[in-house]
Parts: sequence; structure tokens; C-alpha cells
Amino acid sequence: MFRTVLVANRGEIALRVARTCREMGIRVVAVYSTEDRDSQLVRFADEAVAIGPAPARRSYMYAPAILEAARRTGADAIHPGYGFLSEDPHFAAACAAEGLTFIGPSSSVVSALGDKTQARELLSGAGMPLLPGSLKPLADLAAAQRVADEIGYPVIIKAAMGGGGRGLRVVHDSAHFGQAYRETRAQAQALFGDARVYVERYLATSRHVEIQILADNYGNVVHLGERDCTVQRRHQKLIEETPAPGLPRETVERMGQAAVAGALAAGYAGAGTFEFLVDEAGDFHFLEVNCRIQVEHPVTEMVTSIDLVAQQLRIAAGEPLTLGTVERRGAAIECRINAEDPARDFAPAPGMLTEFVPPGGPFVRVDTAAYQGSRVSPAYDSLIAKLIVWAPDREQAIARMARALDEFRIDGPGIATTAGFLAETVRSSAFRTGTHTTSTLMVAARPLAAETV
Amino acid sequence: MTTQDAFDEVRVGLTKLLADLPRLPSALRVEAQDVVIELTWDSASTSAEPVTRPEVPEQRDASLHHVTAPTVGVFYRSPEPGAAPFVEIGSIVGPGDQVAIVEAMKLFLPVEAGNRGRVAAVLVQDGEPVEYGEPLIALEPIEA
Repeated sequence: MFRTVLVANRGEIALRVARTCREMGIRVVAVYSTEDRDSQLVRFADEAVAIGPAPARRSYMYAPAILEAARRTGADAIHPGYGFLSEDPHFAAACAAEGLTFIGPSSSVVSALGDKTQARELLSGAGMPLLPGSLKPLADLAAAQRVADEIGYPVIIKAAMGGGGRGLRVVHDSAHFGQAYRETRAQAQALFGDARVYVERYLATSRHVEIQILADNYGNVVHLGERDCTVQRRHQKLIEETPAPGLPRETVERMGQAAVAGALAAGYAGAGTFEFLVDEAGDFHFLEVNCRIQVEHPVTEMVTSIDLVAQQLRIAAGEPLTLGTVERRGAAIECRINAEDPARDFAPAPGMLTEFVPPGGPFVRVDTAAYQGSRVSPAYDSLIAKLIVWAPDREQAIARMARALDEFRIDGPGIATTAGFLAETVRSSAFRTGTHTTSTLMVAARPLAAETV
Repeated sequence: MTTQDAFDEVRVGLTKLLADLPRLPSALRVEAQDVVIELTWDSASTSAEPVTRPEVPEQRDASLHHVTAPTVGVFYRSPEPGAAPFVEIGSIVGPGDQVAIVEAMKLFLPVEAGNRGRVAAVLVQDGEPVEYGEPLIALEPIEA
């Protein structure tokens, strides 16, 4: 096992990774931007190194500073968390070149699966069910329009190097395709430095269900069941839960097998997530692979009792998987509490937390790096805390989540959060009956926003 | 501008910055390209108490209205780098007119005037961080 792990991230995920390292007897090195000098992680870590100013491209995404910090502190591995450098194949390769273990899949696997068109092509060969669409990046507008007209509208145009719900556009008819194609390409270039896009059929009323897998370096792959992330707003996940409500276990098992086959075909090692859309007929279609620990990983941990970060560390250290049969118990739900104002169309609302009192009680977990007196920085994402609950069944989990959300007290000048909106959502009949789709709750969010203005 | 002029300007700017701070920092680093100014206080004084900013003199002038920051973030005067500012001193604005941008979490939030008025002062430098509710632009009311 590693002696020293450098955590190349910030906020709740960095602290969450550091905690598991500590439990495993691994020394923790934190890196931080000047904006985060008072962070919980900096206090928690055995050693902390300043790597640059607030803008991520000059600190958390600036590989030379992170590699230098690793060298200086004698780290033997780097955990990238999610976002930032977690799915950058060049960073994974640079770690390897420096003799550091990158905790994640190899650079070539990250590269192949990070390019969504390449991933579609690779996995279709492994029998992965894909939505009708292009298998290669589209040469020009004419070629793209041909594919779109052929598969039928609505279609979705996506950035080849995209992800995280950014760099995509839904097109409802042929007449609007050209403009959307140009806009998506421009956005893809701006966000990901790569203008290539692809087209696939858009399922307006679908459910977003993903499979968590673990794969070691010796060809052992297991899946740890599903997470339903159907509650989204503008393709950003708000609530995640397991088991997926209303989804037959037989379908989940087939999705799990498809994910395991896909991981084997890609030569995957580490923790990974295969994302799918499930249509109204109950058929599932591959979306993308996430080569990292995900924001919503705790719901899987709650029902399987498996620490996914500990598994990542073991796999990266060369240990074989020894999980045996993965048993799942009860139901878990996660809510993302963001510094956003639902009354102002979810505009960012960061600032000083003059009040921060997380809920407690049985089977309640709060993953956060915030504390009373800390500051939600406008320089990074809006996630303040993840609230996760477990209960023997979904109904009790919903009641527990509603109670815990009501209990969460967060305030400060200019601070607004999604907690109240989430409490209303989990109490809504669509959510309680599990009949919501990726579009229903986005629609439901609008009247609420209008009412509170 | 000569090097001496530039140096003098930086010195004046820094002296003003230090005078505005509630406590003197233990270290100050200035960088020229992309402008980084880093202030460090000893850990004893880096408490999490909100830093209260000194009031801007214009704020005390009761005859002026102030457009304030809708969120913590970074203040921008123009829609994009190199473009003309939304308003200049003397510009006439009406309720709902965009006068600036505050960037937070990679989103650009429009800052709009609440009243009709003439821009009397722009109180924050372009690209500066601002606190929630901080006065950004002073408006001199004018009759409709």
C-alpha cells in the first residue's frame, strides 16, 4: 500500500478521500490554492502545499505545480478526486512519467473513453446498446444534418470531449439543426478546447441510471448495482438514489453485465461508472463512461457497505479485488445542496457562511468541507454539501431525507441554497411514486421559481 | 508611461490598498502579468470573521443611489475583455439597464440599475473581487 497520497482536489471530495487515507494509515498531502488556505483539508492533512492562486487553471488544474508538490513531499500516488485533472489523460501520463501512481484508469483508457465518439465505437463492439446516432465525429454540418434527419427528431448534439452535462443541445426539428450545430461546436471549443461533436437520438422522457463498477488489474470486474440520477436540472444532477425506483432487478442485472463487459473490453482498472438512459419501454441505452470517483458515490457505499475510495486505493496499489458477492441492503438517497438561488433561476449565491448547522440522527451522512465561518468561494463550483441518508426502504429514506433537509441550517450574506427546493422535490408526488423523468422535475422547478420571486 | 511612473502608480495603489485593510498583512506579493496580488496574514489573525470593508466615501452621500453586487464574485465593467464598458461616468441609466457583470462560479450575472440616474462614480476596479451587497456604481438621481 502507498505510504503517502497527494490529494489533487479541494472541497468535500478532497476531505472525503483524505479521511479514507487516514483510516488506512496513509500519510495525506493536501494541495491548495490561496483561496482555500483555511480549508478543512489543509488542517486535516499531514502536510499541505500551496500551489497557486484561486483560478483552477493556475492551481488545481496546473499539473506542474501539483507534480512538484508530490515530488517535494515524497508522495507515491495522486488521487485526483472528480473534476479538475481527474479525467485528463495527459495528467495521468505525466504522473506515470514521474514515477507516481495516478489513482484511476491508465492514461490510454481515460483517453479512449473520454472521447465520447471513440467510447461509443469501442463499446458498440463489446455489445453495448447505443442510442441511434453517429459513431464518429461529424465532418461538417451537411454530414451532421444527414445523420440527424435519418435518426429522426428530437436529437441531441454533444461535444465529443464533453461531460458533466455541459456542451450539449437538444434540437426538435431539422430547421433549427444548423444553428444548434454551430453553437454546440463553438461551446465545445470554448469549454473543452475541441470543437468535435456527435449526434444521437434524444429521449425526452427517460430515466438516468448508472452502474458503478470496480475493476482490478487482473481482469476481475464487479458491478455494485445502480444509481438513479433522474432528478436533474439542465443536465445537472440534483438527487441520486439506489435502488432505482420501478426498475426491474432483471434490467439492472443486464445493465450491470453490459457495464462489466464494457469495462473488460476497454481494459479498465479502478472505480468507474457506466451511464445509461432507460426509455419508457424499459430498454437501456449507453450514454458515457466516467473514469473517476463520482459525486454520488456515497449512495452505493451506503447500501453495499463498501468504501469505494478504499477500493480505488487498493486497486491502484496492485491488490486484487476480493469483494466476493456484493450484497445490497435497503435504500439510500443523496441530495446536492448547492449555493444557488432557486428564486433567481438557480443563480450562484456564494459567500460567507455565518450559520452552518448540518443535520444528524441515525443513518444520516453529510459530506462537506464547509463549516460555520467558512466561505463558499465564487471561484469554484456551487456544491456546499452532500446529504446522504439510508433506510430499510425507499419510503422511509424519503421521510428521513425530508426531515434532514428541513433540519439543515445554512445562512450568510448573499447565501441561498437548494435545500428548500430539494425538500419540496422529495415530497412531490412524482418523486414519491418514482414516476418522474429527466424532464418532469426540470419543468416542476419553474413554477416554484416564479412563485418565490 | 516610464518605469518610474509605473512604479509610482503601483506604490500609490498599494498604499491605498493597505490603508483600506482592517489589519496590516505580514506579507504582500505583487505580480505583473495577469496581475496577482497576494496578501498573507499570520494564522493568529486569519480568523473566519467576515472582513468589514471601510465605507466608501460616496456611500455617505445620501443624495446618491448605489447599484450593489447581487452576489460575491468578480466585477466586470464590459460584456467581454476589450469591449466598451456598459456605462461611463455621466451615462444615463434607467431601471433594469445592465450596468456591469459579476462573475461567480463561471456564470456571468448581469448587474442592473434599480433607479433612473446619471453615473456619478464607478466604485470598483474592473476585475476586482466584490462582496455581496457591496456598492459598485453610484447613481445621481435625475428627474424623469
